[in-house]
Amino acid sequence: MRLSDIMGAANLSVYAELAMILFLAAFVVIMIAIFAPGRKHTYDAASRMPLDDEHPQTPR
Amino acid sequence: MNARLDSFSYDDDIVRKFLWATMIWGLVGFLIGLIIAIQLPWPGFNLAPYLTFGRLRPLHTNAVIFAFAGNAFFTGAYYSTQRLLKARMWSDALSRFHFWGWQAIIVAAAVTLPLGLTQSKEYAELEWPIDIAIAVVWVAFAVNYFVTLTKRRERHIYVAIWFYIASIITVALLHIFNNLSVPAGAFKSYSLYAGVQDAFMQWWYGHNAVAFFLTTPFLGLMYYFMPKAADRPVFSYRLSILHFWSLVFLYIWAGPHHLHYTALPDWASTLGMLFSVMLWMPSWGGMVNGLLTLRGAWHKVTEDPILKFFVVAVTAYGMSTFEGPMLSIKSVNALAHYTDWIIAHVHTGALGWNGFLTFGMIYWLAPRLFQTELYSKNLVNLHFWLATFGILLYVVAIYSAGATQGLMWRAFDETGRLQYPDFVETVIRLIPMYWVRVVGGTLYITGATIGCYNLFKTWAKRPATYEVPVVQAAPLSAKDTDEHAPAVAGGLLARFTHMGWHRKWEGMPLFFSVMTAVAVIIASLFEIIPTFLIKSNVPTIASVKPYTPLELAGRNIYQREGCFNCHSQMIRPLTYETERYGDYSKPGESVYEHPFLWGSRRIGPDLAREGGKFPDLWHVRHMYNPREVTQKSIMPAYPHLQSNTIDFGSIQKLVDAMAMIGVPYGDAVNKAPAMAKAQAEQLAAAIEAAGGPKGLADKEIVALTAYLQRPGRDLKNAGTQ
Repeated sequence: MRLSDIMGAANLSVYAELAMILFLAAFVVIMIAIFAPGRKHTYDAASRMPLDDEHPQTPR
Repeated sequence: MNARLDSFSYDDDIVRKFLWATMIWGLVGFLIGLIIAIQLPWPGFNLAPYLTFGRLRPLHTNAVIFAFAGNAFFTGAYYSTQRLLKARMWSDALSRFHFWGWQAIIVAAAVTLPLGLTQSKEYAELEWPIDIAIAVVWVAFAVNYFVTLTKRRERHIYVAIWFYIASIITVALLHIFNNLSVPAGAFKSYSLYAGVQDAFMQWWYGHNAVAFFLTTPFLGLMYYFMPKAADRPVFSYRLSILHFWSLVFLYIWAGPHHLHYTALPDWASTLGMLFSVMLWMPSWGGMVNGLLTLRGAWHKVTEDPILKFFVVAVTAYGMSTFEGPMLSIKSVNALAHYTDWIIAHVHTGALGWNGFLTFGMIYWLAPRLFQTELYSKNLVNLHFWLATFGILLYVVAIYSAGATQGLMWRAFDETGRLQYPDFVETVIRLIPMYWVRVVGGTLYITGATIGCYNLFKTWAKRPATYEVPVVQAAPLSAKDTDEHAPAVAGGLLARFTHMGWHRKWEGMPLFFSVMTAVAVIIASLFEIIPTFLIKSNVPTIASVKPYTPLELAGRNIYQREGCFNCHSQMIRPLTYETERYGDYSKPGESVYEHPFLWGSRRIGPDLAREGGKFPDLWHVRHMYNPREVTQKSIMPAYPHLQSNTIDFGSIQKLVDAMAMIGVPYGDAVNKAPAMAKAQAEQLAAAIEAAGGPKGLADKEIVALTAYLQRPGRDLKNAGTQ
């Protein structure tokens, strides 16, 4: 019996749909986490990083 | 407050090196593009054997993707990473090894591709020794990069760096797995995969090369250099995080949309379509984020040519990421696939998004790197307008060419027959548009040349020695704290929504990288494993046999001359295709196709049922001068095939390599040269008897003819058994 026989019998094609649902779920979770209220100041600080990088003096 | 400050300086010398490499290779890549654009409407411009369309087209794509866009990514990444991390690159030696190694690889590509040394997989043409070199250089780059990350003096890793990390990891994976092959000589190898699997692997690679070589690295550049040029932070940092994760999660699935209506299983191409359509929104989120970064600064755009470049770049990103999902819908794809539409689509992306972002970035960098004023702002403006009109002419002409040809292929007349049964009719209709493209391309190159001149003059004004500013920053404290963050009260949900976990990840670059890799690998495995291992996906056809040794040698010539760049071997199950070419292609037909040669563009007709369609002598005359047989043909002439001799001795190695990857060659593993000679003599005698040239028995044209008489034969034999 070859590997492909075993895999063929395992009916794996449903895994693709399963993975798609998993990935969508992960996407929704990340979206909720990002857009949940709070931490605005942290994001604002992070978004200024490219602008404050020339002669940084403030220790972080 | 930490009292101790580290003093260090950034390595800008490596950035200057990559900047020049970007511009010089860019010019070379564009110029080759112009040459092949002229070769289409004017076949006489093909200079056989080395400078034909089939050999130069891969050189063009490799040059613009890996040389121009690659060096542009490295330029921006070395500049921004050091500043965002407040750390010099860990090893100057590795940075230099990366630079010189990468340039050596480009030179190797520029030499081997015109010589016809190719794996014949799109954007992965380079042969196995160069592939190994690419892997080595890439790993050196990655090691240098990741160690630098651990030495950083900034807790939070800015989103641009995430995009770089994802690109570095994914490109390594894609490159290694798509290029697995068995060598059959110093510069010849056969893909480990065959037919459907090889096609699947190739477009998993091919699409993600677009995603992780031309999109995510450049988004990283956008998220750094647009705020810089506009002097304001990105519109929404949250949106950029969402943009990042959606691309990492979604892109990796989209590859199969390159294989709609082919012998690929239906579920796989539907999945590819769904994920491609889902990509539209996050991509537009990123585009909006880029454009809105200019909020309140639009007046600057009229004055600052750098911002103009960025605005067009981001707009082009938006256009091509709308068009991509649309083209991935099966019914749209049925019209657009194999036509110039796809060529127009990629050039919106490449000329607009990659090109303009690169030019904008380089003009922003030049005064800072060369520590002097830019030589001429007017020339930057001129570059901008020439290139913009160049792109417009290019894409408008080629979109119409694509739509025209696609519609002509599927047109039936009132009696139910193909309206344009002669393929060449659908080609000559495109010639005027091909000339418009030549004009557009010339404008674009003129712009880039002016850009080079401007940069050269700027460089000439540089100070005698560059000033190297000393930067001071505090090292990271060992304790993983976030001084700016208030303490989070409440339960698990509150903590979760406050992104504490994500902040932790960002603080641990290695872990973050691993998570990115896991997302990419899981998606790939879920998609790839079923295709590879489920037997029902590739039903075998008993009458399909391996190529004879002579046919295999002929197939090598087919690969060497790059025939697959213009001829597909994949008939889709659509009435107008089966009417024109014959029975549609089955997965089981290509089980011995190492690599698959399905093709992606029909500048000439499909060849999947070519075997037995024309007499042997027709092929001999056609290859010698296509216009002797088809008056309006735009195919290059291959007269050298009648004088080049077949190296019978080397055929054994080819057969052995094929046998090693599981092609049942039987007797041929012992006596391939003798078998090839016998078949060649028989075929040469038949050609001579039909009134053709004498003495072809040891000439390459015989091997190629033997191969061209094969595609589709196995299925016809099945019918007669």
